[in-house]
Amino acid sequence: MTNLNRRLRRGLALTVPALITATALSGCATPPPKSDTADYQAYQQLNDPLEPTNRAFFKVNRTLDTYVMKPVAEGYVAITTQGIRNHVTDFTSNIDEPARMLNFMAEGYPADAGTSLVRFLVNSTIGIGGIFDPASAIGYPKTSTDFGITLATWGVPAGPYLYLPLFGPSGARDVWNLPVQWFATPMEAAPASTALNDFGHAEDGINLINTRATYLQPIDQIDATALDPYATFRSLYRQSRASELQEVKQHDHRTWPDWYSRPAK
Amino acid sequence: MYFRRFIVGVATSVPMLAVMAGAAQAITPDQAKSFITASGDKLVAIVNGGGSQDQKASQLRHLVNQIVAVNQVGDYVLGRYINVATPAQKQQFEALFHQLLSYNITYQIKAYQGVSFKVNSATPQGNDVLVDTTVTAPDKAPADVGWIVEDDSGQPKIIDVIVAGTSLRITTRNDYAGVITDHGGQVAALLTAMQNQITRISASQ
Repeated sequence: MTNLNRRLRRGLALTVPALITATALSGCATPPPKSDTADYQAYQQLNDPLEPTNRAFFKVNRTLDTYVMKPVAEGYVAITTQGIRNHVTDFTSNIDEPARMLNFMAEGYPADAGTSLVRFLVNSTIGIGGIFDPASAIGYPKTSTDFGITLATWGVPAGPYLYLPLFGPSGARDVWNLPVQWFATPMEAAPASTALNDFGHAEDGINLINTRATYLQPIDQIDATALDPYATFRSLYRQSRASELQEVKQHDHRTWPDWYSRPAK
Repeated sequence: MYFRRFIVGVATSVPMLAVMAGAAQAITPDQAKSFITASGDKLVAIVNGGGSQDQKASQLRHLVNQIVAVNQVGDYVLGRYINVATPAQKQQFEALFHQLLSYNITYQIKAYQGVSFKVNSATPQGNDVLVDTTVTAPDKAPADVGWIVEDDSGQPKIIDVIVAGTSLRITTRNDYAGVITDHGGQVAALLTAMQNQITRISASQ
């Protein structure tokens, strides 16, 4: 079985039941009457027509988190230092660097695509497989992007908010990042092998735990202070995505042939 | 992964959960920078200083009332519901918000022992100024935190905190609006939720 096939099966095994469940339980929020202008505008602005379903999945994910992910992440924090966790972040981030390069190219930002390429080459070699991040030290800092941001730069609107089982906050546009991110890894380019598959599983697992560990205190804080954690996460997610898009747009500029005048930045 | 930047930083800035005010006159970047430097130094001194958690919480509450435009918080956080709330409800909301802010600050003290604070730059934004800082705490990744400062009757006051592009006043407003819309637009439901949270936190402390 090829590496691609295995990943495809694994991906489908995870996502298809989630999507089927989502469809089966699909419930829509009832919009206020258009005559109630303020409420109707607020409803439109919220853009969360699947709110009842989203809230149901939010509860499911929080339950899973409480009994599985959070205890595991707490154990992980207990046996690691912040330094180790930073190196794990660097390592998993480096594996995603080729995907960032492809997205920057698709977005029309070749300078950032070049930065991603240099980062991957430098960190994979001098940085010992990405455990260290010497690329940042020599002037190639990381800039985040993904396929959702790429679609946004193409003019695709964010669309309705989605809260996915297992995957968490997303949207009608950003959800397309999931399959792209799944396959755009260096492991897909390498010849299939059992060792590579095991490495992929291990990397997915450690990334999940390391990421949850990063969120331990902030999520506890949101739980302790927010009146409506679902609405708070939704707000933070949307603001964060808007900010990332803004950062990508401001960070680089599209390069143009010399005989055209460069557009104002 | 993109969820990481804002969620880590949010934790850093809640001690100064701040909000909104009507701008009067412009403040200069240097004034805003000096104000944030002085306020940050005071905050760090309290968090890292001696005394019990209760004493620190009390000192922080006093400091926040000095440097944050807390009284205007309700106006922004309530948003369009300010027109729906009765004068009595608005008064109750302001009292509860002050109380919740105090509890949230107290909650943060333990997590931020050993915090340090560095002011980087100040950029005008209309009549306001965005002061960019880096907040570092032991065993936590450094977080870039932006403070929006405006002139409030001749005094610089913090009106918002920006962490990785997310605004705390907008987040709080959406949080509270979530409660109200879930209960058919009733402001009373928000007041009940706030009171319940205060009761819950009081019981756990």
